[in-house]
Formats: sequence, structure tokens, C-alpha cells
Amino acid sequence: MTNVLLIIFIISLLYVTIGNRIITYVRVLALQGVLLFGVTFLQLHEIQTWNLVLILLETVVFKAVAVPMFLSYLIRRNKITRETEPYLPHFISLIIVTIIVVITVLLANSIKDTYLDKIFFIVSLSTLFTGLYFIATRKKIITHVMGYLMIENGVFVLSLAVGNEMPNLVNLGIMLDVFASVLILGIFLNKIGDVFKDVDVDQLTNLKDY
Amino acid sequence: MLTIILILFTSLFFTGIILRTKSIASGRKGPGIFQPVKDVIRLFRKGAIYSETTSIIFRIAPVIYFSTVVMACLVIPFGSEKGVVSFDGDFIFFAYVLALGKFFSIISAMDTGSSFEGMGASREALYSMFAEPAFFILIGSFALFTGNTSFHAIFSSLHLGSSITYTLGGLAAFVLIMIAMIENSRMPVDDPKTHLELTMIHEVMILDNSGFDLGLILTAGFIKFAMYGAIIADFFIGSLALSLALPLFLLIQFTYAVLVGIVESFMARFRMSHNPQFILALSSVSFLIFLGVLLVLEKFV
Repeated sequence: MTNVLLIIFIISLLYVTIGNRIITYVRVLALQGVLLFGVTFLQLHEIQTWNLVLILLETVVFKAVAVPMFLSYLIRRNKITRETEPYLPHFISLIIVTIIVVITVLLANSIKDTYLDKIFFIVSLSTLFTGLYFIATRKKIITHVMGYLMIENGVFVLSLAVGNEMPNLVNLGIMLDVFASVLILGIFLNKIGDVFKDVDVDQLTNLKDY
Repeated sequence: MLTIILILFTSLFFTGIILRTKSIASGRKGPGIFQPVKDVIRLFRKGAIYSETTSIIFRIAPVIYFSTVVMACLVIPFGSEKGVVSFDGDFIFFAYVLALGKFFSIISAMDTGSSFEGMGASREALYSMFAEPAFFILIGSFALFTGNTSFHAIFSSLHLGSSITYTLGGLAAFVLIMIAMIENSRMPVDDPKTHLELTMIHEVMILDNSGFDLGLILTAGFIKFAMYGAIIADFFIGSLALSLALPLFLLIQFTYAVLVGIVESFMARFRMSHNPQFILALSSVSFLIFLGVLLVLEKFV
């Protein structure tokens, strides 16, 4: 069952690469939050109330509801255009992400470590690289934030891969990280959205010394 | 032997069911289930008119197209029952016999010298080219999974045991439905109802065909639908008894037809430039199926 959820997770990565609108990205992030909750829940050995509440808070409440809602609020408020505007065509993105998945599979295959759960490792690494690729190829700052959130999801899966017992500290760290990034960049975006009408990174190239 | 009869039988209803679903979804009563078949019978009674610029290729292409589709049907098994012919590697035969028919329909479109038809032919070739790796990776992974290379052996030894194999089966059904939609030039990729030559793909290729030839091409389309439906049904039938398998087969064909109708009613066609990436995404999904099969077989480590 865990494998099924993780396969759906990878398919969501493929879907997001050919997504045409920003709202698609937001929805996929929400879906990933739900999937992560499923994976974590199935990985639990014994159910402790405190642990369960924390996981529920982090995955469903935070990743699947709060962040997507905040992001869509930002998109509406700053009147960000609906298109994602990548530098490369979606077609090439799709090929590159497929290659990323293949490479991570080969990489995971070459690691001879019995403690490492292979499929978790593959999913986390490919999510990480896809997030990085997103940040590198999308023009808008808000899509950079989404790429960052995707990387966070990848790190989350990685923490599941390395130790079955998830230390609460790692948990809390990730959560704080996401919170801070979204908050700061949200405020940052609010400012930019109010001052300039557009939040294209392209416009930063107009800055020059005279 | 059973499959070819069933495919021919279901192909009588298939397009009718799609049309009826579309009619009901748009609030009309719609034509009868047999209306498409009646149209084709009317076409069969007519003669064909050939343009003066065309050559022999234009005349033989519809016949070749039709016969390749029928030939492709021959290799499809029904559960544990063999197809009419069955040999190792017959899924390659299946794909390339269909490709031969497609090739002839493409060059016959080129033969008319119409610029629109050439454009449609080029699009059709492009999309079929992208759909091909998806099909081969998909069937290839199942060949690897079961250790056999013929349709009959693959489907009869396919055991869906754990949850991951069920996922693979579901994904395979999804990819096959999408490939069938592309090969039949239906909705997400091509709109059969469009009336503008610039946006057509398959329809524009057969603009010059008339009468008997057009009837053959339309019939081949019906059979092709039912053929892909049979392959999808084979994924689920496995080694069930005939009394169970037969209703299941008909049910799957019916569901598939209704699904096509619903998709056509509620979805807009993709923009032409978005089609290649959509079709390539299918290849990526089949690649995931391949990796999943490797995982199940424990080829990793």
C-alpha cells in the first residue's frame, strides 16, 4: 500500500511538469500532502496520540490545507497571471523529469545499504531534483516557492527512508522550515506585488549600475 | 476464434453507445444505437468517386487499412482462450500491422495532393510515433513480469496478487485507454465533431474518400475501438470461467464506450501544441510501470 502511494506521488511529479496553470501546482502540492500523510500513517509501528497529532498537523493540516490555501490567496491577492511561464517547453521538462527518475533509480540501485528502503530513497531523491529543476526553470517567484515546498516534501520522504522511527526533532525542523519559507516569501511577495504590478524575475535583470 | 466474433459483435454497438451517451449528456434523445452501422451500410451500397490526381495507392489504401485492423484482431486472446493466431512476440506483430495500415492511410492522404490532408497526415504520424513507445514499454513490462512474449501467454499467466500489482494493472488500463483514444483519434487529442480542416487530424485525412472506401474506413474505426476494449478486458479476465468472463467482457466494453462518451461530452480538445507532451506523459507512466515491475520482481539490489 505504501508503494502504491509512492507511485502516485511520482506520477504527481510528472503531472506537475506539464501543468499549465499555477493553480495546478497548488492542487498537486495539496495532493502530495495527503499522500505523505498516508505514507507516514502506514509506516507507524505503534500509534501514540501525540505522535499522530503531530504528523496529522504537519501533513494534512499544514501541507495539504494551510499552505495551498495561503498560496491561492497570494495568487489572487497579487493578481499573479495564471500561466506558469517556464523557460523551457513543457515537453522538454517532461523528458528531463523522466530522466531524473531513471537516474535516481540507477543511483539507488547502486547503493548497497541494507538499512535503506529503496523506493523511499528513489521517490525522495527524484522529488528533490524535480523541485530544484522547477526552481531553475520557472520565471515567477511564486513557482520558486512551490519548487521549494516540493523539495521539503522530498526531504520529508527521505526522513522516512532513513529511519523508521521518525525523530520528532526532524519533524519539527521541517515544519518550521516550511513555515518560515512560506511566511517570509509570502510577505516578500506581498510587498513586490503591491509595488510592482508584476513579479517576474525577468524584471530584476533591468537593474543596472549607472 | 471467440475473440474475433466478440470483437465484431461489440463493434456493432460501440460507436452507437458513444453517440447515445453524448446525446444524453447534452440533453437530447439522440439517434438509435445502430445508426452508425446503418450509415455504413448505406455507404457500402454506393460507388466511390476518385479524384483525377490520385493514383492506385489511394484506391488500395482503405482496403489495406481495413484488413490490417482485422489482422490485428486475430492475435488478441480471450482470457485463457487463444486468438486465431498466437505465437511468441505477437504483440510486436499487432503494433506493426496497425502501423502498416496507418502508413497506407497516411500516404493515401498525401496522394490526394491536398495541403490540408498532408497536414492531417503529418499530425497523425507524429502522434502515433509518440504513442508507440508507451505501448511497447507497457506490454514489454508485462512480458517481463510474466516471462512470456505472446498476448495469450501474458494474459493467461498474469496474476494480480499484491496491492502493487493492482496499481500496475490499473495504470496499464489507464495507459491503454489513452492509447486507444489516440489511435482512434478521439477526444483529448482529436475531436471527431470538428468542422474546421485546420483543427482536424483523422477526419481531414479521409476527406477525399467516398462511398465504399469511406464505409471501410469507418468500419475499421469501429473494430479498432472494440479491439482495444478487448485488450483492456483481457487485463481483468485472466483465467475466469467462460460464464463469468463473457458478461465481464461485455460490461468492460460497455463501460469503456460510456467513458469515451462522457469524456467527449465534458472535455475540451487539447491545444494542438499540447498534444505531444500529453502523449509523451503516457510513455513516462508506462516507464513507471516498468520500474514497478522491476520492483515486484526484485531485480533491484
